[in-house]
Amino acid sequence: MVLDLLASGLVFSSIIVLGSIGLSLVYSIADFANFAHGDTMTIGAYTSLVTFGAVGGLGVTVLGLPLGFFVALLAGIGVAAFVAVVTEKLVYDGMDLDSIGLLIASIGLAFIYRAVVQLGFGAQSTRYGIGALRPIEALLPYGVRVTQHDVAIVLSAAVLVTGLHVLLQYSDLGRKMRAMADNPDLARVSGIRTDRVKLWTWIIGAGLAGAGGAFLGLYSQLTPRMGFNLLLLIFAAVILGGIGSVYGAMLGGFLIGMINQLTPLLSNVGIPIGIEYADAIAFVIMVVVLLFRPNGIAGEAS
Amino acid sequence: MLKLTGGVGIAGLAGCSGSSGNEAYNIGMVDAQTGSLSAFGERNQRGKDLALSAVNEVGIGGSDLQVTVEDSGSENQGGISAAQKLVNQDGVPFLIGAVGSGVSLAIYESVIEGTDVVQLSQNSTGLGLTEFPGLLRMSPPGSTQATALADIIGEDGYDEVALTFVNNDYGRSLAEAFTDAWDGSVAYNNSHDQEQQSYSSVISEMNSSSADAWLFITYQAEFGKMVNEIFSKGYEPMLYGADSAQGQNVLDNTPDGSMDGMKIVVPSAPVDEQNYKDFASAFESEYDQSPTSWAAYAYDCVINAALAIQAADAFTGAALGEVVREVTRPEGEQVTTFEAASDILADGSPSDVDYQGVSGPIDFDENGDPVGFLQVLEVQDHSYEGVDFISS
Repeated sequence: MVLDLLASGLVFSSIIVLGSIGLSLVYSIADFANFAHGDTMTIGAYTSLVTFGAVGGLGVTVLGLPLGFFVALLAGIGVAAFVAVVTEKLVYDGMDLDSIGLLIASIGLAFIYRAVVQLGFGAQSTRYGIGALRPIEALLPYGVRVTQHDVAIVLSAAVLVTGLHVLLQYSDLGRKMRAMADNPDLARVSGIRTDRVKLWTWIIGAGLAGAGGAFLGLYSQLTPRMGFNLLLLIFAAVILGGIGSVYGAMLGGFLIGMINQLTPLLSNVGIPIGIEYADAIAFVIMVVVLLFRPNGIAGEAS
Repeated sequence: MLKLTGGVGIAGLAGCSGSSGNEAYNIGMVDAQTGSLSAFGERNQRGKDLALSAVNEVGIGGSDLQVTVEDSGSENQGGISAAQKLVNQDGVPFLIGAVGSGVSLAIYESVIEGTDVVQLSQNSTGLGLTEFPGLLRMSPPGSTQATALADIIGEDGYDEVALTFVNNDYGRSLAEAFTDAWDGSVAYNNSHDQEQQSYSSVISEMNSSSADAWLFITYQAEFGKMVNEIFSKGYEPMLYGADSAQGQNVLDNTPDGSMDGMKIVVPSAPVDEQNYKDFASAFESEYDQSPTSWAAYAYDCVINAALAIQAADAFTGAALGEVVREVTRPEGEQVTTFEAASDILADGSPSDVDYQGVSGPIDFDENGDPVGFLQVLEVQDHSYEGVDFISS
């Protein structure tokens, strides 16, 4: 029972983590809370749906997923990043607004993204044309009930997160991004082309969101509101971890996803709090953490 | 209209040529012609028009029936104004209305209560209307579904059930109605929110409750996700569901065979009965599509009103109120058309007739609720098959 809940938590966390990183990255560099981030995930999911429908399975199957799905995943990442860059160039870049103004603008963009998806695909829910799987037999004796798809989600998220870590720590772009997150003015005077770094931030952040959305569609199903419905939890994760900190977002996403899925344990040990309060519990923990560490777990003390 | 009356005069044979000159009986109808419930309103109007032509082909003691329709705009205030106009200006003694349960209640409390006007709602299914015996309705309350589900699960041999319901008025009231009607034990009884990305904790809690029968009172999108989670967790419970958990969207988004054997109870017209088949074919030839139960309810409202007018001593609210329930209740002779019922009423008393509607047996109880006519669906080879009809 506990092992099973931990396994479910790990799967759900992987998706939240992918969403949180992008939100936190954009916050640290572009300096505003992007409410269109959830709908960027939706775009990734629907792009994958269309691409998978077009390319088909492509024969080979990895972890219960046809090769075509991974192609579709890449397309989802690409299109989500492309939409974010176009939006940055067309909308945010031309706006002479403070972070609150940009935040409000992003709410408007969230509605636009969602409306476009809904125009194209309708409000009904749908799924990828990939057969659902039964739990992995080998793990049943341990009470763990996960499918190969769940394993694929966790592994892919781990690969993407590790890739981001390597990029941030060891690449020239990563150093520039960190420099710019620390102090944008200083970064600019020391010769870093901050515009270009900002663009890359959008690409990476939205790309990860696209991947998160594609996996969310696999984990649950696709609806035009899927990303927006998850956004509140993602915000909780980012704030819990420390807003603007990428590693904090990873940790926060992991914790929020786990807490969300581990709620049944409470009633098992006799605490009468039902699972319908799973989200509320996540937010209570977030508030408590912020009372003691106002900048989040990984945030710097001010 | 005149032409039609003339035709009836000839068909009604010689002698009573004077009757075609009688003034038409005028009743009112508040319908949702605009607003969020306008899809129901449109269907109601089709049912009403068909019923009117059926009534006026025969006539009520030589006169025609007229229905003055006013729009509620699908909202309480609009419904109240429409009803005020009909009752106070047009002076109708019989009011059909309205679509939404909230609108029907608002009309009853603001306009009808305290007068002797008869109100018969065409499409309200909310449980709250049961507490107002003076407010009749043609569509059965949702609670009949809950009672039927309790019966079916018991008959299938289960004495323990795990229940999850969507966290809103609809889900909560139906879940309460179910637990009231259910004799066995409820091993798990909890709500879930709409539009969550994951229901895996709901599913694992239902599983650890150790009940083998799982009942879902929720919507299609939510239920579809749950079925997928049940499938990928490898659980194999017996599934039961309320009508809202059923639909093409669920079938499309769940793996083949994942729900086989599931039983669902849906409100239904008596589709196997001859009178419904006649109604459906008349509807199809008129509108080029099959009728919905919402049209059938409106149809029966008009027929019921016409029968009450014919049975009553006078065309007043008080006189109509005395007989409106009688004409569809058991013990009288069962008839399925207005014409047949009208023949009996011509020289009999109101209790000699038991009109069987195209939407069900009607049989208003003391609370003004009709008997629920429900169909049991079973999922076979990943599609819904009707296996039984029940009335409760």
